[in-house]
Amino acid sequence: MTAETPSELIIVIDDDYAMRLSCRKILSKSGFRVEDFEDGAEALNAISRLKPALVLVDLKMPGIGGLEVITRLHEIDPQIISIVITGYATIDTAVEAMKSGAYDFLPKPFSPEELRIIVNRGLERRRLALESHRHEIERALLTRRFVTFVSHQLQTPLVAIHQYLDVLKHLGDSADVAAKRNEWLDRCLRRTEDMQKLIKDWLTLSSVESGAYARRHDRVELSGIISTILQSYETMAALDGIQLESKAPAGPCAVFGDANCVSVVLDNLITNAIKYNKPGGRVTVTAEPANGEIAISVADTGIGIPEESRPFLFEEFFRVKQEAAQQKAGTGLGLAICKKIVSEMGGTIDVQSQPGTGSTFRVRLPAWREQPASEVVLVNGLAQEDSDRGR
Amino acid sequence: MDLRKKILIVDDDADFTESLSAFLEAKGFHTLKARDGGEGLKIARLQRPDLIIMDVVMNERTEGFFTVQQLRRVPELQATPIFVLSSIYSTHPEFQISPDSGWLAHDEFLSKPPDMNDLLGRIRRHLAPKEATA
Repeated sequence: MTAETPSELIIVIDDDYAMRLSCRKILSKSGFRVEDFEDGAEALNAISRLKPALVLVDLKMPGIGGLEVITRLHEIDPQIISIVITGYATIDTAVEAMKSGAYDFLPKPFSPEELRIIVNRGLERRRLALESHRHEIERALLTRRFVTFVSHQLQTPLVAIHQYLDVLKHLGDSADVAAKRNEWLDRCLRRTEDMQKLIKDWLTLSSVESGAYARRHDRVELSGIISTILQSYETMAALDGIQLESKAPAGPCAVFGDANCVSVVLDNLITNAIKYNKPGGRVTVTAEPANGEIAISVADTGIGIPEESRPFLFEEFFRVKQEAAQQKAGTGLGLAICKKIVSEMGGTIDVQSQPGTGSTFRVRLPAWREQPASEVVLVNGLAQEDSDRGR
Repeated sequence: MDLRKKILIVDDDADFTESLSAFLEAKGFHTLKARDGGEGLKIARLQRPDLIIMDVVMNERTEGFFTVQQLRRVPELQATPIFVLSSIYSTHPEFQISPDSGWLAHDEFLSKPPDMNDLLGRIRRHLAPKEATA
């Protein structure tokens, strides 16, 4: 596209030789490439080959008239700018031509300056149109790639399940396949569970995006949420000899927000910490006040995250490209959900990691504060203020 | 010596590979498995399979297409039939490649999951002439 700016091709179609020659001279001097044609049909034949940026057409020509040339020109390439050259007597027809898609008209006689101005304006218009067209294409491409990607994520487990069932149907009687029957059915079940998890995560993510998630602004006490989640994963962690511990302070440690949201975030972080741990490892959940915020950290002694993966960790469908991580089932949406929820709640999330040693995810959320009377006024209005004063 | 025909399955989904391989083994073929394009290329070079079944989307890109091209640059593998299998791209108009075009000259393009009888029929057709001349 870089070649377009200095030497765009302009085509002049006019049965008047003098007119063609003068247009050619003026436009060449301005640095454009110019081709001219005496006859409309001839010009139209050459359009697809020459790919002009702009066409100047005389309205009154023998053979195909200017109006038809313009219509057919735009059928070939709607991005070509066409300008009508016309005598005074045919202004009405020029208006007709513009209705049929011409960009502008130039009444005869015209000065070189007038020609240059109108041509440059036409080309500028074309550049803008092309650019917005490119943006549209890029956007459509992104959307389509995303749709393709999601359908692939959903189709892959379905294909695997279908294939197991199909082979069982075809060969269920053969001894080799019959021996594998139970294992295969278990695998089918696991794949359906993965799929359900993917759809559930996907729905959570879109409901967070639509703002329907982090609705409440309550006092959310963390120690209860943390111990409930840790308890629910004790059995799963014990399978790999992983210890779960909580280091919440003895006193109250509450954030301002939505209890369900906090649960979803911590649940995701804690399951990751167990999943990507090493056998016999440890998961430590800490919560402590820090400058008007509560800093929650979930630390593991697991496989860690390579540095090059960290910038993409919170993106949708991103999964770390290392063997140990890819063996684990995952939707690639958990951390994207965490990030979206945390920012909806006015907080931040980040990660520190040492490959081979472990990772620590840190979430900072606004701390709960008992509101002083002046703020209650702002929140609840005058009536509240009066009743507070009465106390 | 193993006289069975060797089929290499290149697919990143271990479950798909497992069931397809069990099916083909039951039908009298010897199967080799690879989890991505790179591994597929390595095994193909060393083991010279009689036929290759190739997934398209691996490692979050259309790795299968790249691998087919790389396989075709190996002189001994130029005439090895490659079956390209995909759940998305077989129905995607842009990726419909006519079987006799260029680098896919010896190949079949099938949708995924494949119809098992159809797949078996195609595999046998591709492998039959070689048996006749051997």
